[in-house]
Amino acid sequence: MLIENIKEAITSIFSNKMRSILTMLGIIIGISSVITITTIGSSIKSTLNSTFNSLGGSSVTVYVDARYPETDEEWDTWEYPEMEKEDYITQEMVDELLEAYPDEFTGIVSQSSYQSGKVNGEDGKYANINSMGVTAGYMEYCKLDMQMGREITSADSNGAKRVCLVSDRMVNNYFGEENPLGKSISIDFADGTTADFVIVGVYEYNQVVFGKEDTSVAEKDRYTTVYLPIGTVFEMTETENNGYDYLDFTVDPTSDIQQATADATDFFSKFYEKNEKWTIEAYNMQSELGMINTVINVITVAISAIAAISLIVGGVGVMNIMLVSITERTREIGVRMALGAKAKVIRMQFIIEAIVLCLIGGFIGIAIGILNGVLLGKVAETLIQSMYSDYASYIVMSVHPSVRAILLSVFFSMLIGVFFGHYPAKKASKMEVIDALRYE
Amino acid sequence: MSEPVIRMENIIKRYYEGKPNELQILNGINLEVNEGEFVSIVGESGSGKSTMMNIIGVLDRQSEGKYFLEGKDVNLMSDDERSAIRNNRIGFVFQNFNLLPRANALKNVMVPLMYNPNHQKNRQEKAMEMLRMVGMEDRATHRPNELSGGQKQRVAIARAMINDPAIILADEPTGALDSKTGHMVMDLFHRLHEEQGKTIVLITHSKELAQETQRIITLSDGNIVGNKENQNYRNVVEERKALSMGGEA
Ligand SMILES: Nc1ncnc2c1ncn2[C@@H]1O[C@H](COP(=O)(O)OP(=O)(O)OP(=O)(O)O)[C@@H](O)[C@H]1O
Ligand SMILES: [Mg+2]
Repeated sequence: MLIENIKEAITSIFSNKMRSILTMLGIIIGISSVITITTIGSSIKSTLNSTFNSLGGSSVTVYVDARYPETDEEWDTWEYPEMEKEDYITQEMVDELLEAYPDEFTGIVSQSSYQSGKVNGEDGKYANINSMGVTAGYMEYCKLDMQMGREITSADSNGAKRVCLVSDRMVNNYFGEENPLGKSISIDFADGTTADFVIVGVYEYNQVVFGKEDTSVAEKDRYTTVYLPIGTVFEMTETENNGYDYLDFTVDPTSDIQQATADATDFFSKFYEKNEKWTIEAYNMQSELGMINTVINVITVAISAIAAISLIVGGVGVMNIMLVSITERTREIGVRMALGAKAKVIRMQFIIEAIVLCLIGGFIGIAIGILNGVLLGKVAETLIQSMYSDYASYIVMSVHPSVRAILLSVFFSMLIGVFFGHYPAKKASKMEVIDALRYE
Repeated sequence: MSEPVIRMENIIKRYYEGKPNELQILNGINLEVNEGEFVSIVGESGSGKSTMMNIIGVLDRQSEGKYFLEGKDVNLMSDDERSAIRNNRIGFVFQNFNLLPRANALKNVMVPLMYNPNHQKNRQEKAMEMLRMVGMEDRATHRPNELSGGQKQRVAIARAMINDPAIILADEPTGALDSKTGHMVMDLFHRLHEEQGKTIVLITHSKELAQETQRIITLSDGNIVGNKENQNYRNVVEERKALSMGGEA
C-alpha cells in the first residue's frame, strides 16, 4: 500500500513537472541555504580541528603552577614562589603515570628552556642562540622537519650526552657551505659557563613554531634555537631528580582526551596535596578548541534558522499546490472512494504526495547545498593559503558537508510535508463520495 | 424465501433539506431484488433513477426509510464499513466509465484490490484474469485516453468485478456507446448473470435493452409505477445464444 502510494505520488508529481518544480523551489532554496551554511560551518570546524591536531592537539599539557591566593588581602603581600628541587615532577611520577594509564598516554614530550648564549668560532664567527632541552620525539611533535642528521634520542637524554640540533639558518650564517654534522660548537651561556656540543642534526626553521621574526635585527644577529637532550640540561642545571615543571603527554588518538586530562590532573595532584606553594594544572588544546567550536556552532545554527524561514514559505507553497491538486482531482478522489478507499487511505495518499514533493525538493536542495558548500570551501581554502602561505602546510582544509544537517534536512522536509500536507489531505478525505463523483 | 440482496423500505430522498427550495426526489420507494436477478430500471429523465441507484450503491444516503443490503441495515454502518461494502460487495459501472486517467487499464482494474485488505496477493494476475474475461488483455498497458468508449466500459466492468461483488449496479452503462458496442457490453452482463449468477441492476433508457432483463421497474417522479416480470426474457436469452453460436460458427 505504502509503496503504491509513493509510486502514485511520484507519477502525479511528474505528470506536472513544471508546477512541481516551482512548488519545490521554496523548499529547495531553504534546504540548500541551510546545507551550504552548515557545510561551511563544519568545514571551518574540521579545518580548525585538524590544524590544531597537526600542531599537537592530541596531547595533554601538565605543568606545575603556583597556588594563587584566594583573598584580596593575601594577593597584596603575595609573591610568586621560587621552585625548589622537590617541587618538580619527577621521572618516577611520569613513569608511574604511563604505567597506570597505558591506554591513554603513549609517551611524553617535554622541553626545558635553558639559557641563551653565543656560539663563538674562529675568525670572529659567531651565532646568537637560545638553548632548550627536549625529549625524544619533540621535533616530530612540534612538526619540525629535519634537514639532515638525526633527532635527539632517549639515549642522548638518559646519558646526558653533549649533542645538539641546530637550525638550517644558523648553519647558513655560521658554517656557510661547510657540512655541520659532527662539528663541535662551543656555547658561551649567559651565566658565564661554557660547554661544547656536537651537532648531530639540522632542522628546518619554521615560522609557525617560532613566531614572527624580529626584523629590526640583522639576519646574522637573530637568535635561533639549539635543541639539547633534556637530560643534558638537567645535568647542567644540576636538577638531581630530573624534574619537569612543564611537560606534554602524547595521548592515544582513540582515547578520550578530556578523560585523559582529568586522569593526569588527579594523578599528579596526589603528589602536591601537601605542597603549600605549588600545585598541578593540566589542559589540552581540545578544550580550547571546544570553545571555538561552540561559537561556530551557535553562528551556524543562528544563520541556518534564518535560512529555514524560507522553508516555511516553501511549505505554504506546497500546501497551496496540494489544495489546487485536490480540487483538480476531486473526480479521481470520488472514484477512489466509490471503489472502496477509506477516508484515512485518501488522507494518507495526499500526505504521502506532499511528503514526496517536499523530500524531492529536499534532496535537490541538499545536492545544491553540498555543491555550494564545497565550492565556497575551496574558495576559502585558496584564499587562506594565499594569505598565510607560511602556514599553508599546517592548514588542512577539509570540506565535508555536515551529516547531521543532511539528516536533519531530510527529516525536516518530511515534517514540512506532513505539516503542510495535512490540511489539504484532510480536506480531500472529508469529501462526500457522491459530491466528489459528480464534481465538474 | 431467503433474504433479498436489496431491500428498500419507504426510501425518501430530499435535496436542500430544511431549506425553502427543498426538493423531494424519491417519495417512499419500496423495492426488493433477489439474489441472481437481472433487473432493469427505466423511467424518464429526472425521475430519480440515478438517485435511487446511488443509494443502492452506498454512494449516497437516503433522507428517510431503511435500506438493507444482504440483510444488513446500511444506515447503521460506520464510514469505514460503508467503504468496505463499496469495495467488495458492490460493483458499480458508470455511464462515463470513471477510469483513472493516469493509470493504464491493468492499474485501473487493480484499484479496488488496493483497497481490499483481504486480497493483497497476486493482484496483478487477478487483474489480468479480469481483463481476459472482458476481452481486454491485449490492452492492459493502455491508458484510458488510448481506448474506445466500448473498451473503456469493458475495463470498467472488469474493475467492478474484481472483488467478486454480490451485486453489479450499472447506471446507463451503454449511454455513451453506439448500439452495436452497447450490445457487446450487454453481452458481458448476460455472461456474468448466466455464468456467474451475479445479481445485476441496470438503468437504461433503451426499451430494447430493458427487454433483455428479467424484471423491469419503472420510475416516474420519484415513485415506482411499474414492477413486472419480463415474459420475453427467456426468448431473448435463447435468441442471444443462437446468435452468438451463429456468430462463432
Ligand atoms: N445533488 C443534487 N442536488 C439537487 N438536486 C439534485 C441532485 N441530484 C439530482 N438532483 C435532482 O434529482 C432529480 C432526479 O435526478 P436523477 O439524476 O436521479 O434522475 P435520473 O432519473 O437519473 O435522470 P437521467 O435519466 O437523466 O439520468 C433531478 O430533478 C435532479 O435535478
Ligand atoms: Mg441518471
